Amino acid sequence: MTNTTVRQAVGDGRKPATHGGEIAPKRRTRPGDGWAAAAFLAPSAGSFLLFVLAPTIGVIALSFYSWNLLSDGTFIGLDNFTRLFSDSRLVAVYRSTTTMALAILAINIVIGLLLAVLLETRMPRIIRGFFRLSFLFPFVVSSSAVALIWRFLLNKDLGLVNYWLGFIGVDHIDWLGSSAWAPVAVVLVNSWKTVGFSILVYVAGLQSIPNEIKEAAIVDGANAWQRFFRITLPLLSPTVFFLVVINTINAFQVFAEPRVLTQGGPGDASRTVVEFIYDTAFQSFDLGYASTVGITLMLVLVVLTLIQFRVSRRFTFYG
Amino acid sequence: MTTSTIKTAPRRRATPRLQSIGLRVLTFAILIVAAFAIVAPFAWIFRAALSPSDAELYRLPPSLVVNDLTTANFGKVFEQVPFLRFVLNSIVVAGSITAAQLITCSTAGYAFARLEFRGKNVLFAIVIGSLMIPLQVTIVPLFLVMAKLGLTNTLWALILPPIFSAFGIFLLRQHFFSLPKDLDEAARIDGAGHARIFFQVMLPLSGPALATLGIITFTYWWNDLLLPLVMINDTQTQTLPVGLVLLAGRFSSGSLGTIAAGITMAIIPVLIVFIIAQRHIVQSIASSGLKL
Amino acid sequence: MKRTTRSIAAVVVTAAIAATALTSCSSGGSSSDTKSLNVAYWDYGKGAEDGNQALADGFEKANPGTTVTLTPIAGDNWGGYYANLATLIASGKKPDLTFTASEGIKFLAANNLVVPINDYLNNDPAAKTFKDDIAPALLQSFGYKGDITALPNGWNDMVIYYNTKLFDAAGLPYPKSDWTWDDFKATAKALTKDTNGDGTTDQYGFTWAGNEIFPGILPWVANAGGNLVNSDVSDATANSAPVVKAVTYLEDLITEGIAPAPAPMSDIFTRFEGGQVAMFGGGRWPSATFLPAGFTDFDVQLYPTGDTYQTVAGAAGYAILTSAVNPDLAWEFQKYTVSADIQDSEIGTATAPRDSIPSLRSTAEKTVAAGIPPKSGQLFYDSVDKYPALTPFPAPAKYSEYESTVLRYTQLIFAGETSVKDGLDSLQTDLSAVITGK
Repeated sequence: MTNTTVRQAVGDGRKPATHGGEIAPKRRTRPGDGWAAAAFLAPSAGSFLLFVLAPTIGVIALSFYSWNLLSDGTFIGLDNFTRLFSDSRLVAVYRSTTTMALAILAINIVIGLLLAVLLETRMPRIIRGFFRLSFLFPFVVSSSAVALIWRFLLNKDLGLVNYWLGFIGVDHIDWLGSSAWAPVAVVLVNSWKTVGFSILVYVAGLQSIPNEIKEAAIVDGANAWQRFFRITLPLLSPTVFFLVVINTINAFQVFAEPRVLTQGGPGDASRTVVEFIYDTAFQSFDLGYASTVGITLMLVLVVLTLIQFRVSRRFTFYG
Repeated sequence: MTTSTIKTAPRRRATPRLQSIGLRVLTFAILIVAAFAIVAPFAWIFRAALSPSDAELYRLPPSLVVNDLTTANFGKVFEQVPFLRFVLNSIVVAGSITAAQLITCSTAGYAFARLEFRGKNVLFAIVIGSLMIPLQVTIVPLFLVMAKLGLTNTLWALILPPIFSAFGIFLLRQHFFSLPKDLDEAARIDGAGHARIFFQVMLPLSGPALATLGIITFTYWWNDLLLPLVMINDTQTQTLPVGLVLLAGRFSSGSLGTIAAGITMAIIPVLIVFIIAQRHIVQSIASSGLKL
Repeated sequence: MKRTTRSIAAVVVTAAIAATALTSCSSGGSSSDTKSLNVAYWDYGKGAEDGNQALADGFEKANPGTTVTLTPIAGDNWGGYYANLATLIASGKKPDLTFTASEGIKFLAANNLVVPINDYLNNDPAAKTFKDDIAPALLQSFGYKGDITALPNGWNDMVIYYNTKLFDAAGLPYPKSDWTWDDFKATAKALTKDTNGDGTTDQYGFTWAGNEIFPGILPWVANAGGNLVNSDVSDATANSAPVVKAVTYLEDLITEGIAPAPAPMSDIFTRFEGGQVAMFGGGRWPSATFLPAGFTDFDVQLYPTGDTYQTVAGAAGYAILTSAVNPDLAWEFQKYTVSADIQDSEIGTATAPRDSIPSLRSTAEKTVAAGIPPKSGQLFYDSVDKYPALTPFPAPAKYSEYESTVLRYTQLIFAGETSVKDGLDSLQTDLSAVITGK
């Protein structure tokens, strides 16, 4: 049963209809399904309308307004949008967000896969359990707790990290105070927390690869590297794709780590777009512009996801 | 040959044999370094929580021998912030969101996977599309709406906005696809309606999938910092993540020992639950086949 | 072509309707009862809760028939507090009074949220005591366009804390109030040491908070004869000669190895207690951290004199909001916070001092007499009585944004990533935009 679970769970999300037909090819609508569907969809539809659609319309509407939190708004047409193009801070914030997001994504995808593969090698059950427990644990701890811990550990003069790095001859790194290292600190701390989940999803993907295929490859005389790149990786591609999409969306939403670790600084070196939206709306009380920036983030996510789906069509193997 | 390895489900699996001892040593070296990098900070914070003075904590090299332990820091946490309220609020918020999402996502997931109705493709495309409109984007209007409804500064403002989850619907739709079609066909022949099929046939088979969604949802909202920061402005209604930041003090001038004690108390219960439930968490995530 | 235009128009119209719908709902709700007060305060911990509860209880007792409801507001700094206060007011809850610091006065006044107390000060006979017993500089820090917006009930000014043990060990005399920037640098240099001989400095002469302006660059800017804003707080003066001079002086301390990179205040406290830093700047609040922990090897002195000496002081108090149902009763409450009883409780004890200075001179003078360190604690009030204070109080209406903008650039400068001149020039551009709103 589990085998089919994994195989049939493969939907590409683009054309759900074709997958509806995976189980039973297109078939005429049974009488009654419409009403039943309405009833089953009602809870989601209600919450969707109230908490997704309405705020989305709201965010678009607000972007045409100059709106101080404490007074009523005035309609200013496209002023907020023209301001986007002359806002050099926003450019800097997008640059740091994108850089950090790519790094977080890369660590989750590559290091996560490496650790998952290593975790699946032969070892005593109890040791595997220990490793898996350690890797996944930070995932369930709150980001602000994680960031507070690392704020102490990464302290330039008093932190343990620099102290230990000193043994291998590394000079004190200004993890939280320099433009070069602050984003690195945010990336490391965020990945440290999230990679466990990616590992677990990879492990699930690895375990779902049928034994027979690997054995056949061994019989054919393929070595470990060949087996990994020609068999494991292609069969794992839907998992990789899932993690790329989920991690991308998550990596663009990073907020707690820079806020607690570096307050986005120095300058805007480690500021994320979400932090920028929060500051604009709730510290500068500029709700209109904050909404406009929100729209840009939405567009970035839409474009990235579309690209990912397009690329995946070429590289994802749904054998 | 593979019987000694942990299984997440009964299944035959090939364990790659590492031919050389060198590779095995390397494998373990990497795993141990990674595990150390993850465990050491927690060990340090637990140690800091028991330390009598902050200056001691910043002494390098850190003294591993602990001679004068104190639990005074824990008492200080309760003096400074309503810690139990934070925990309670977090449990209520994360718990309610999880319960609500399990309802909205399982029903919608079932409809998308196993019912035929007009507009299904369009609706599902909308669901997937909304994956790209995270709450962070719509936080400003969400705040305004909650403010107009008079719900800011109540836990409702934290519970309501995340009730709809595109990710959850997607996850459970995948799961319902995977259940054999004969199941509901048989039930239907027996005269069961959709409600009965859903509750008596589908849900009993959905434990791992629901658990997976539950775990992911609960941890995500247990950890969220943005929503409480925006919606809540009094201390009593705050959740744990903001509470810890408050514990760090005005202008982050709080005592390290106290902050460490707060973090420790925030982590230990999670750690215990996690160790107990670890195998189930791993199994359910593994068997729900997260893919796109 | 035509279709696109039409659909864009449709979107815009829908958006406008939605936006109007959002605006049109009016907000309301306040304590309707004229004998009750709702007081919003900054809940930064148990101390704040107890203090405000005592205040409320005391007021109810002194004014039978009145009830005081407290609204605690969270926040990890002033910016966070004002953000939360603003969201509270935006959600339609309107307190009668709110706790505020000098930093937030223009924010409240510019948004028409605060009731000036000029009339009360002129007409209430009891007000004269306050005017005489509160330093003018403190009242001025609560000024807005010629109005006084509240009576301060506690305040802080920036002084240098120094570790007496380290001075003794180095054989240095304790600093005098007339020390100059050159004296200061020489002292700090003599206190900078590599105590264990491993080749790296482990005891620095001086450091300052990297996450705050007041115990950061501001006293140096003031003593160079400058300010971060112009005389009517209508524009920034962040790249004026005195600011450049002050920031250059601090930057030199870092490059010469006398000061480490600025860190958050908590690190500084820890390092100061641990003898890793010999001097730093702050108000009364550091002693409220040191004394309960049993650390007493410190004293305070005025900041060294540069081209001039100007005290940097900021106050806090309970401002009457325009939403107050019964402003007269709110005024009574405000007066109560400055009454001798309440002021006395602001003193604290030698092992648990309060973290701000009482605003009544007569009360503040009792602090040292009560045996509460620092030994030179009389300096706190003397500094606003005997020396000119930095005016105007540098806090524009958008204080949070102003603060984060200043810190953003000073962090870059002190991290050595931009030159003092370039950094301050960019700061001037951004800060000017924040203040003027252009």
